[in-house]
Amino acid sequence: MAAYQEVCVCGFEEFNQAVEQHEGKRIFALFVGSKDAEGNSWCPLCTQAEPVIREGLKRASQECVFIYCQVGDKPYWRDPNNDFRKKLNVTSVPTLLKYGTPKKLVDAECRQANLVEMLFCED
Amino acid sequence: MPTSSPPGRRARVLSPGTSRPSSEAREELRRRLLELIEGNRVMIFSKSYCPHSARVKELFSSLGVDYNILELDQVDDGANVQEMLSEITNQKTVPNIFVNKVHMGGCDRTFQAHQSGLLQKILQEESAYEYDLIVIGGGSGGLSCAKEAAILGRKVMVLDFVVPSPRGTSWGLGGTCVNVGCIPKKLMHQAALLGQALRDSRKFGWEYSQQVKHNWETMTEAIQNHIGSLNWGYRLSLRERGVTYVNSYGEFVEHHTVKATNRKGQETYYTSANFVIATGERPRYLGIPGDKEFCITSDDLFSLPYCPGKTLVVGASYVALECAGFLAGLGLDVTVMVRSILLRGFDQEVAEKVGSYMQQHGVKFLRKFVPVMVQQLEKGSPGKLKVTAKSTEGPETIEGVYNTVLLAIGRDSCTRNIGLEKIGVRINEKNGKIPVNDVEQTNVPYVYAVGDVLEGKPELTPVAIQAGKLLARRLHGASSEKCDYFSIPTTVFTPLEYGCCGLSEEKATELYMKENLEVYHTLFWPLEWTVAGRDNNTCYAKIICNKLDQDRVIGFHVLGPNAGEITQGFAAAMKCGLTKQLLDETIGIHPTCGEVFTTLEITKSSGLAVTQQGC
Repeated sequence: MAAYQEVCVCGFEEFNQAVEQHEGKRIFALFVGSKDAEGNSWCPLCTQAEPVIREGLKRASQECVFIYCQVGDKPYWRDPNNDFRKKLNVTSVPTLLKYGTPKKLVDAECRQANLVEMLFCED
Repeated sequence: MPTSSPPGRRARVLSPGTSRPSSEAREELRRRLLELIEGNRVMIFSKSYCPHSARVKELFSSLGVDYNILELDQVDDGANVQEMLSEITNQKTVPNIFVNKVHMGGCDRTFQAHQSGLLQKILQEESAYEYDLIVIGGGSGGLSCAKEAAILGRKVMVLDFVVPSPRGTSWGLGGTCVNVGCIPKKLMHQAALLGQALRDSRKFGWEYSQQVKHNWETMTEAIQNHIGSLNWGYRLSLRERGVTYVNSYGEFVEHHTVKATNRKGQETYYTSANFVIATGERPRYLGIPGDKEFCITSDDLFSLPYCPGKTLVVGASYVALECAGFLAGLGLDVTVMVRSILLRGFDQEVAEKVGSYMQQHGVKFLRKFVPVMVQQLEKGSPGKLKVTAKSTEGPETIEGVYNTVLLAIGRDSCTRNIGLEKIGVRINEKNGKIPVNDVEQTNVPYVYAVGDVLEGKPELTPVAIQAGKLLARRLHGASSEKCDYFSIPTTVFTPLEYGCCGLSEEKATELYMKENLEVYHTLFWPLEWTVAGRDNNTCYAKIICNKLDQDRVIGFHVLGPNAGEITQGFAAAMKCGLTKQLLDETIGIHPTCGEVFTTLEITKSSGLAVTQQGC
């Protein structure tokens, strides 16, 4: 069990800023469909995955930064040219990744506790 | 639900031609039967018409217990099996029943055991071992086998560990192909082809003023990122299927037990009912001064953090020629030092054409030389190395200075340091390879092997994958299908690609005699090469037909662009029994290179020239 620092961002610009701010640290990022005024995401899989991921995060073996990134509304996400798709190669939500590495979980993989644990644990 | 040999097809426990078994065949049979007994929770040797057998099957069905049956009246060597069972169990009759490897006896004794509660006790007994299957080696063969076994419900572990190369290079899960073989090789080959395409593009009207250069670091980073995603993908797929993956070096310490040592030197022990050795190979060194200190191999090349510069490639294997090929294609000064022939084992006529093309395109060849010493002149990334080499035909010695020396003289099996001697698994002492029977079983019944370590089998990823998958299916009762090693296609991705399936001309001549063969061949000029002004009369197509068997195509050879894609289809056709007539009846697709095979006319025996004109 290690300490983690959570950073909440909305949109691509804020995400990049957060990454720059924490350069050199171990960064995990979760991309989800943005929540409305009532706090509900338009992406049901994201809603299911979040508790599993937060649970896995508690068991991260080493200190890290956790960036929780709301990507935008559904029409923005559907645009094939949005920044997340073009510049970050994040093409679906939810996506959980370890920044700067090929380690990535997408869609239903994000709600499987054993896979989430594997991503958070160091080799 | 019972599993048994599929209806309508008479199965054999032993290969055909063994109706009167020799002692070797009997040993084989015993091994196979033990495999069935040890590999199934309930194993029933029975006869389909026998009423006692029927009662026993009903009993297990009523208990909801899965069983595997071998119907002795439905296999060709049923009598031999019955005799061997009698030897093993002292029981001459069927049904002959085993539960959790315990011999229950026949129908009466099994029913008695059921009534007394003994049968249930034996059924419930925990396995003596922690795992059903431990696979040593997480490459193409090992992972395929492990995944399939897990899909069939077994408890599986994969032990994978990469001993760093002498230069310190290591890599993740996936084996040679993914990390230091097929995948990065093909990507670098593609990088080189794109360079050629850029040159061709001007002839097709593309105009650009920028000087075209190649950045090694950009290419390598992109390739390594892709490999990283593949490593991760394998870890995901193992975890998803519940396979335990341990990044540790596995070696046998006693029967059914391995010791796993991790990077930090911590040791853990695991036991399993069955094992699969899939440890693959590593590049061989020359055994000359300076080789391990200063030379690199394919283990190091694909992740080299700096451009190799002026390179000497030692060897004439497909690894050597493919690497030399793409390095030259990326613009580097490349020399290949060859001891004798190119591409040993491949059709030599085509092999020489492969070399000849490379030579025409700037690769230097030093034929009939071997290095005797490598010295470092300057340190650096890359540095400067001096190589001294001796002629194989006389006293001549030459010297050369290179930035990088890449050794590609062969690969050695990783079988010498995994404790095989502790459990008596026999290996070929000369080359370290493991001899197996046609179900990939070693001389120790619970130990199997797949992949490059196998004696006498092609060292190719798809072969290992197929063998691994089928092995898992046979081990866990789901099938009796064996891996077919016959007529396996392959492609050498040299600058001019060479695809082949079946026999080389030399091998065909040796097996069938020249007078029984008809060889059809032609040179061809790919349409895309015409405008680009590239070589005419260089690409080559050849098929070897067996006159004694309806002109069956027994050898297929194509030298030209996209050879791999072309060969794949023809390999399937050859599996269906392709003949020259069928080929002639096939209409070609125009304009392609592949169509040339549908219009082959000139035979070698006619002596006619094969230079192409037109179209």
